[in-house]
This record gives sequence, structure tokens and C-alpha cells, in this order.
Amino acid sequence: MTRAIDMGWVGCHTCGTVHESDQTRCRTCSAQLHSRLPNSLQQTWAWLITGALFLIPANMLPLLSNLVLGQNEGHTIAEGIAIFFQTGDYFVAIIILIASLLIPFSKIFVIAILLLSIQFRWQLGNKTRLLLYEFVEFIGRWSMIDVFVVALLAGLVKLGAVISILPGAGAICFALSVIFTMIAALRIDSKMIWDAPPRTLSNDPEH
Amino acid sequence: MTDHGKDSYRALFDQNPDSLIVCPACDTLHKAVPVQVGHIARCTQCHFKLMDPKPDTLARTVALSITASILMITMLWFPFLTISQAGLTGKVSMLEIIFDLSHGWYNILAVMVAAFVLALPIVRMIALIYVMWPLHQGRPPPPAAQQVFLFAEKLNPWAMTEIFIVGTVVALIKMMGLATIGFGTAFWLFCGLVVVVALKNAAVCRWTVWSLIRKPSS
Repeated sequence: MTRAIDMGWVGCHTCGTVHESDQTRCRTCSAQLHSRLPNSLQQTWAWLITGALFLIPANMLPLLSNLVLGQNEGHTIAEGIAIFFQTGDYFVAIIILIASLLIPFSKIFVIAILLLSIQFRWQLGNKTRLLLYEFVEFIGRWSMIDVFVVALLAGLVKLGAVISILPGAGAICFALSVIFTMIAALRIDSKMIWDAPPRTLSNDPEH
Repeated sequence: MTDHGKDSYRALFDQNPDSLIVCPACDTLHKAVPVQVGHIARCTQCHFKLMDPKPDTLARTVALSITASILMITMLWFPFLTISQAGLTGKVSMLEIIFDLSHGWYNILAVMVAAFVLALPIVRMIALIYVMWPLHQGRPPPPAAQQVFLFAEKLNPWAMTEIFIVGTVVALIKMMGLATIGFGTAFWLFCGLVVVVALKNAAVCRWTVWSLIRKPSS
């Protein structure tokens, strides 16, 4: 296997066109050319930490509050899932459990593992790391389900004094957390996954 | 996609740099051998999809994008859901749902829904039509075709129509105890829209479009 970096060429990150290393704009898709995205690790860490910080209030503050006959009862993400399990809506309970709890937390964990494995050249198999990368690329956006649910409920239920549903501050924090971790995933340069041969093998003629 | 030695890559590059393709995901060099329509060329190292030419990719994408835009714009004016509780019945369209949300800090939520569900998907469709319609007609690429298509590709993860429909179903089940919910015309249009958008995204072969709008190497 020969890689563009071995030949001193730059491959476009969007379309794969091969360029001499002195080019700055791709002739095929006009994207900026970089051998590797500059400061990819720092930027990913920054967005990831921001996303992780927003996930804390997202789970502590109420996602939405029901005003039923003047009584205000709010519930958080976890309480919402518990309510669904109690009322027997297992299907919805599992969708929300996966989209709102499992995906956001596991995504942050997986991005952190990926970054650490690139940074410290852990001996993770490249195939494993690629699987992890694809997981964060394609799964993260599905966490927005709960944000849309809150928006719909709040926009829908406006029957005056009887019931109304208001979005809680948790919903905003949750949405921001999803957006920030999506940006984090986009800032990872997956080419670096294949760049980091274990240090001990650097004398190997293959590299 | 076969592996070649460094010398043969150098020779191919000197002859025509576009006869090579680098995997955008892992940086592996490949000889760009166009594959048959319906076949997929994957990276030998990481299995990233390098080329997947589709039959009539231009005509299909343009047709499906136009269909999806018409569905999207029509949908806005019909009631999305009906809600009745204690003798009161209300109908709300998507636009009303968004405008009802836009008070104070709820504006952030309203903007997110408007952007991810309505605006960004339609901007992507218009961008695809703008680039691919002239190409389909056999004319040269329109001005700034590269920038517009690049933008459309970058928008892809942020267009969330299919996620919204799942959110709608969850919201309905959540509401069942509180009120009676009915589907409006716009809900069914939106379901159709989700299918058309999925077909449209599946009809795009990026490699085909890129090779049509590429500038000759200097």
C-alpha cells in the first residue's frame, strides 16, 4: 500500500484528487488542501470538551415542563424514559433511551478513545479505530430526536389554561451538546488514524 | 483497485494526475479505474466508498430534488397535526409550530428546527439542482459549481428530515394520554418527503459529479 503522504502529494479530503504539495485549493472541488487538517486534535478536543460540559446540565435540568391546570411538573431525560417504561410504552422508551442517553455518552467516550489512540499511538487495530470513527460520524445526529420532540410538543400544545408544555433549559443544553459533538466528529482527520505506526516499529523498512 | 509501486504511481501522476485517486478517509493511493454503473469501488485499506456510479445519476438527482422541494414547500401550508382535548380542536402547520416556539430563549429551539428540518434540506436540494441540471443538459458547469457542490456535500450531516419524522412519532405517543392527536395532510407529505430525500441522497454519485466539474490540472 502506498499513501499520498509517502509520495509527497496531497490528497483532497473531500474528493480524493491528487495534487502536488504546493497547491492550496483543490482543482476538482475547490476545498482547501491540507496533507492533514491543521490542529485537528486540538480542535476536536475543544469541541468535545464543550459538548461534554453541556451534557451535564442537559441531564440535570428539566427537558420540558407540563403545565397541567396551573401545576408545573418538569422532568429530565432520565425521568422521561422512566415515565415511558412505567406507562408500558417500551418501544418509545427504548428509542429515547438509545438516542438521548446511550448515543450522546458513548459518542463522547468513543471520540475521546479515538483521539487518545491517535495521540499516544495506542496499539488499537486500524480496523477497530475506523469502526469507531464511522460510529461517531453517522450515529451522532440521531440524538436530535429528543430536541425535535420537545419542540413539537411545545409548539403543539397550546390549549390555554388546561395544559401547556414549555421547553426546559435542559433541551437547549442537550441540543447544543449534540451540535458540538457533531462538530467534534467532523474535525477528526481520519487519515491520522492510519498515520500513527507504533513508535517501536519506526525502524521497520516498511515505514 | 490494484496496488502499484511508487514508480508506477509517479509515472501515472506525471502523465495525468486525474488517473489517480486518494482515499479521502485514509490517504491510500489508488489507480482511478472507472467502474461499471451499479458497481462500487472501495478503498483497499479502509473500504471507504470511492466511486459508486449510478444509472442516470444526474437525471435522477435533479428529478428527485425537484420533487422533494415541491413536497417541502407544499407541506408548509397544510396542517401538520390536529390536536383535540376537552372539546377544543386545533390544527397546526409546521410554520405555526415554529412561530409558536419563537418567544424569548425558545427562539434557539425554533431556529434549530427551522434550520435542520426545513431550511438546510431545501438549500441542499437547490444547490444540487443548480449544479446538476446544466450538466444533465450537456452544458458546461454553472459558475462556482465546485463551491456550490462542496457546500451541498458539507450540508449533508445537518439536514435532518428523517430524524424529525421519528421525533414526530415519539411526540405523538407522548401526547396520547393528554389529548387526541390526528395526522394532517402535511404529515403524510412529510413522510413522502423523507422517502424522496433518501432516494435522492442514494442517487448522487459524488465521483461522477466531481469528474464533470473538475478543472484541468495546470
